[in-house]
Amino acid sequence: MTGPKLVSILRQGSWLIASIHTALDDTQMVLFQQDLIEQIGRYRSRGVVIDVAALDVLDSFGARTLRTMAEMARLRGAETVIVGIQPDVAFAMVSLGMDTGSVPTALDLEEGLAYLARPGGRGPGHRGSAAG
Amino acid sequence: MTERTDELQPAGSAPSASTAEDQLLPQLVAHLREHRTRLRQEWAGRIQDSGLLHAMTPQEMVAETTSVYDNYVEVLETGSVEALQRYARDLSERIIPRGVETHEVVGIVLLLRDVLARSLFEKYQRDFGLLNRVLDAYEPAANRIANTVAVSFVDERERVIRQQQDSIRELSTPVLPVRERLLILPMIGVLDSERARQLTEQLLTGIRTHRAKVVVIDITGVPAVDESVANHLVRTVDASRLMGASVIITGLSPDIAQTLVTIGVDLSKMDTIGDLQGGLEEAERLLGYSVSRVDGAGAM
Amino acid sequence: MSAAESVGMREDRRPHDDVAALIPMLRRIIEARVDDAATADDLVQETLVRVLAAAARVEPGMLEPYAIVTARNVVASMWRDQDRHRRNQHRVVDLDLPDPPDQDLLANEERTAVAEALSRLTDRERATLLAHEVSGQDTRSLAAEQGSTAGAVAAQLNRTRARLRVEYLLVQANVEPPTERCRPVLLALSGGDRRRQREVDAGRHLLECDVCARLSQPLMERAQPRDDEVRIPISTDADIVAARQAARELAARLGFARTELTLIATAVSEVTRNIVRFAGTGEVVVELVDRPRRGVQVTARDTGPGIPDVERALTDGYSTYSGLGLGLPGARRLMDEFAVVSEMGRGTTVTMTKWCGER
Repeated sequence: MTGPKLVSILRQGSWLIASIHTALDDTQMVLFQQDLIEQIGRYRSRGVVIDVAALDVLDSFGARTLRTMAEMARLRGAETVIVGIQPDVAFAMVSLGMDTGSVPTALDLEEGLAYLARPGGRGPGHRGSAAG
Repeated sequence: MTERTDELQPAGSAPSASTAEDQLLPQLVAHLREHRTRLRQEWAGRIQDSGLLHAMTPQEMVAETTSVYDNYVEVLETGSVEALQRYARDLSERIIPRGVETHEVVGIVLLLRDVLARSLFEKYQRDFGLLNRVLDAYEPAANRIANTVAVSFVDERERVIRQQQDSIRELSTPVLPVRERLLILPMIGVLDSERARQLTEQLLTGIRTHRAKVVVIDITGVPAVDESVANHLVRTVDASRLMGASVIITGLSPDIAQTLVTIGVDLSKMDTIGDLQGGLEEAERLLGYSVSRVDGAGAM
Repeated sequence: MSAAESVGMREDRRPHDDVAALIPMLRRIIEARVDDAATADDLVQETLVRVLAAAARVEPGMLEPYAIVTARNVVASMWRDQDRHRRNQHRVVDLDLPDPPDQDLLANEERTAVAEALSRLTDRERATLLAHEVSGQDTRSLAAEQGSTAGAVAAQLNRTRARLRVEYLLVQANVEPPTERCRPVLLALSGGDRRRQREVDAGRHLLECDVCARLSQPLMERAQPRDDEVRIPISTDADIVAARQAARELAARLGFARTELTLIATAVSEVTRNIVRFAGTGEVVVELVDRPRRGVQVTARDTGPGIPDVERALTDGYSTYSGLGLGLPGARRLMDEFAVVSEMGRGTTVTMTKWCGER
């Protein structure tokens, strides 16, 4: 991706923090997916936080891509938590009939990191919202 | 000693029963006045033994039991419950905010009734016929008193609850942050689509503002919903989850549950709890669970 | 004699009283149509004068309906005057080109084109138009000549002008319309008649027909620029984002709540993606409507292969691309009104509306 950064992927220990900075079109979303999966492999990351607070819309393609990313991350040994879904975006998503499937969600970056850090965290069986 | 002659007289002269009946209550009242201190203390002791009114200090206990005792005797004397009603309302107003329950108030009045009845029993036990007549005069009056106090208390309690509900309803934002990371959304009244939309918007932005992890949506005050509002409710629950908050629904009436099932909601996937109190306990358990980090506890 | 006398009396006195009694009603009729109080007063006066003048000729009992019709005509003729003023300005802009060096040559071509366009009108159309525009004859006297009403003549003049513009453009571009549908579409565009444009599905035709797309450019530019409508051509992924952002911005002007704006934007995103995936190109039009209520209407159309089974496409779980089959049924859940028209081999049009709640 060229020009101003649309997304950033920061490495913090065994975790990756991926932040989306602006509305992405489908092509940019797919590029972001490839980029993230590649970095998970390269750094052998154990946990990923995807911050979507800047997204104005999460339509069926956007939500599906996020689920795909989490699934591919899981296959590479990393647990994903999606953070920062805005109130109106969340409502539109469920009205559309979408959710994040088994991918856990948390309020913001801080909560997402706390979720990854929880004792016994990172492993199958932990699903649903980060509050549980 | 005079006491004895007084009580023996009506027993001895049984013929003029009606005039004797007229004398029974005044005699009784005189007796209760005479032994006021001893009987009141005995009553207070019984209250303590029963574990009632533990919210009160000993001084308050003395003051309140004395007032109740005097009012009680006055009703027996005059037959008018008005003063007692006033007092009972006043008392209720003072003790309801301190968490005194209906059964406690009814309990102490019944205890007083029994303490006084026992004293009458001891006094008249040697004349069984007279005892029966005394108790026949006393019991209806005593029951009436117990009734009056209980009704006054319940009335007052309902008034207080209504007032609280009104003030909750009047709040411009119905989303109440009860404690850190816990929000309550009390939905009250008939919900139309527009109001449901506003409540959703307030709840979802409230989750972000208060960084809530658990939300209790109380729909006790919602008589019924149509399918579109029910749909909206379900979407609100799902959207809250997407923002990382758990949702507990309390006060789900059978009618509304039926509507939810009709539109295809899987109720087993919703966290529903009978009443608000239970919902708050569950909420605290959820928050406590995530704070105290108990491993291996049942995950959601 | 006595009979004549009574008639004479009615002429002299009664009409004045009757007409005076009409004033409150006339005032209501006119003020409902004209905002400016002074203008309304003038028009009430003018109506009274006309009604008085005609009172003797009007059947007894028919004075009230006559006055109502007169009042409406008076208002309409005021509008027409204003209208004509506006239209003539446009004619100047449309038909008179600027003054380049080879002015004469262009002016000559111009005259030829106008003459050719005029010759394509019917005799009656041409005669009426010239009488009105060149000789300055007003619509009322034209109506009297034709045994018609002034309103009908004005409407006919409008249609004639619209045709003239279309024929002029065709002559200038030196093309014959390739299909039968071209002329009706161009006429609807030229007349600025939105209902007619919908009837002939002008938007779709412009996507299909290159000639009309090119010719219609000056016709659309001529129309008053609308600030309550946005058109976004769709061909790439990035256009999906542009379309939903445009829809959000326009809808925000109606005072939709934030949640509703996002619902609209999400629905636009879904239907626009369908265009990119299935048809390749198309367009999204977002417009504000105020009938029957205030709201925002989105029209997404393409000239793609069409949807074989619309019913099925509106069912959850139906999907032919790598989505989740939520595109159309999902978008339908987000909006208040939703309609899909699709024709195999010709394309698909999705129309959806979100009403702005009473607030």
